Amino acid sequence: MLKLEDVTVHYGATVAVDKVSLQVEEGEFVTLIGSNGAGKSSTLRAISGLEPVVSGRITFEGAPITNGKPQHIIERGIAHCPEGRRVFPHLSVRENLEMGAYRRKDRQAIRDDVERMFDRFPRLRERTAQPAGTLSGGEQQMLAIARALMSRPRLIMFDEPSLGLAPNFVEQVFELVTEIRAGGTTVLMVEQNAYAALELCDRSYLLETGNVVLQGSAQEMRENPDIRKAYLGG
Amino acid sequence: MDQFLQHIVNALVLGSTYALLGIGLTLIFGIMRVVNFAHGELYAFGAYVSYALVSLLGLNYFGSVLLAGMLGLLLGAAIEFLLLRRCKLENIDEVMLIMIGLMIIMQNAELLLWGGVAKVVPTPFAQESITIGGIYLSPTRLFVFCAAVVLLIAFYLIIERSRLGLAMRATFQDRDAAKIVGVNVGSIYTLTFALGSCMAAVTGALLAPVFVVAPTMGDLASLKAFAIVILGGLGNIPGAALGGFALAAIEEFGSGYISTAYRDALGFLAILIVMVIRPQGLFAIKERVG
Ligand SMILES: Nc1ncnc2c1ncn2[C@@H]1O[C@H](COP(=O)(O)OP(=O)(O)O)[C@@H](O)[C@H]1O
Ligand SMILES: [Mg+2]
Repeated sequence: MLKLEDVTVHYGATVAVDKVSLQVEEGEFVTLIGSNGAGKSSTLRAISGLEPVVSGRITFEGAPITNGKPQHIIERGIAHCPEGRRVFPHLSVRENLEMGAYRRKDRQAIRDDVERMFDRFPRLRERTAQPAGTLSGGEQQMLAIARALMSRPRLIMFDEPSLGLAPNFVEQVFELVTEIRAGGTTVLMVEQNAYAALELCDRSYLLETGNVVLQGSAQEMRENPDIRKAYLGG
Repeated sequence: MDQFLQHIVNALVLGSTYALLGIGLTLIFGIMRVVNFAHGELYAFGAYVSYALVSLLGLNYFGSVLLAGMLGLLLGAAIEFLLLRRCKLENIDEVMLIMIGLMIIMQNAELLLWGGVAKVVPTPFAQESITIGGIYLSPTRLFVFCAAVVLLIAFYLIIERSRLGLAMRATFQDRDAAKIVGVNVGSIYTLTFALGSCMAAVTGALLAPVFVVAPTMGDLASLKAFAIVILGGLGNIPGAALGGFALAAIEEFGSGYISTAYRDALGFLAILIVMVIRPQGLFAIKERVG
């Protein structure tokens, strides 16, 4: 469904992503793991069209999307739930959800989807008119996920959705991601918490300083001695 | 007492146009982080459009205001598309230099086209003031006030109620997140600059029959627009509206009770004081558009 071939991303002289190749099949749950600064976020940002790709190719459902404009990427069915949540702090919860559907034209269906999100996230319904910036971290993460779902994506990318959340919210977020995948949406998730990532996903890629150094099924990765030592605490 | 009320009325009329001018500038700054030194020249542009249409072509004043607004919209879009889009907005120095250059070009173009002599635009209204309870108000100024208030409300509705306004506010609050949800940030910038320019041009055209039209008018308008925006807090739209009325009140009461000669100086003195005691602006709660 999604295929990256030798994708390279630079920030000035820094090479953040160095000839990364990876693949996500329809219906799969794939994770990108690796320590801070490995190039995980940059990879997702390149897919979304937020960072220019200097070399390599990205294809989605067979069509080339390398260096596509973000608005065209989301129209093709790729949603991005960014690192650090990034909800619009002074927009209301409802407006944030509406922004998630910005590229859609089916007004009635958008309204129904907003209702559906409120059914799914009762805490958000209680805060419909409240500025998103006043929500707790966990609630903001729910909103960020709901906003990404509002585009009705076929592939959804999560960038460290559990970062900085209280333990009960972390669990909730991972449950939610699993649910979304069970609902038929393909998932590509970046996660520093390798333990949780490898519990949940089908396959995983390990990134180190911009390179894919290891890949395999969740079980293979869990059993790999290097990963056990460096990422799973022995 | 009559004197006091007279000042209030004058301040309201002037303040409504200051609010329009300031909102245009603060909108551009808030969303694009561009310090638009040419803002006053767009105001002058509107005034000259009105002069050309009314005094030279004999068109009606109301039509000239409408056309000035539309031409301001187009000129603003062209400036964004041809100049700003080509440079990285993060390079503040570069952008400032470009805007100062644009200001110089526009001002000299006015001088070349229309000469240095001030022009007069005739008003379509009666010259005699309306008197209500000892307070005088010319029909022209009454119209300017009503038009400005209508425009302020229209602007408020665009920002707070329309899809475009929502996208503008979202872009201001988090540009990357706006891109992620599919906002074409480039076209939001074009529309923002166009809308801000349109407001300056409309203000210039509205005020053409009230003041004279001269190539230097843009300088003072720019200075005042900056003063208003600073009073209200940079990028703060309700702040700019209040800042407009505040500056007008300071000028009006200052010239009424202190000295007419220092009218403009008093306004700028007030800005200096605000910058020292409340650098975030008089009305700044938090920095935001909308
Ligand atoms: N906006 C940026 N400007 C410059 N360097 C950046 C920027 N964003 C990320 N980097 C650098 O690129 C590398 C990869 O970063 P990132 O993709 O954020 O890693 P991860 O998400 O795996 O923590 C790091 O060395 C980081 O310092
Ligand atoms: Mg990251």
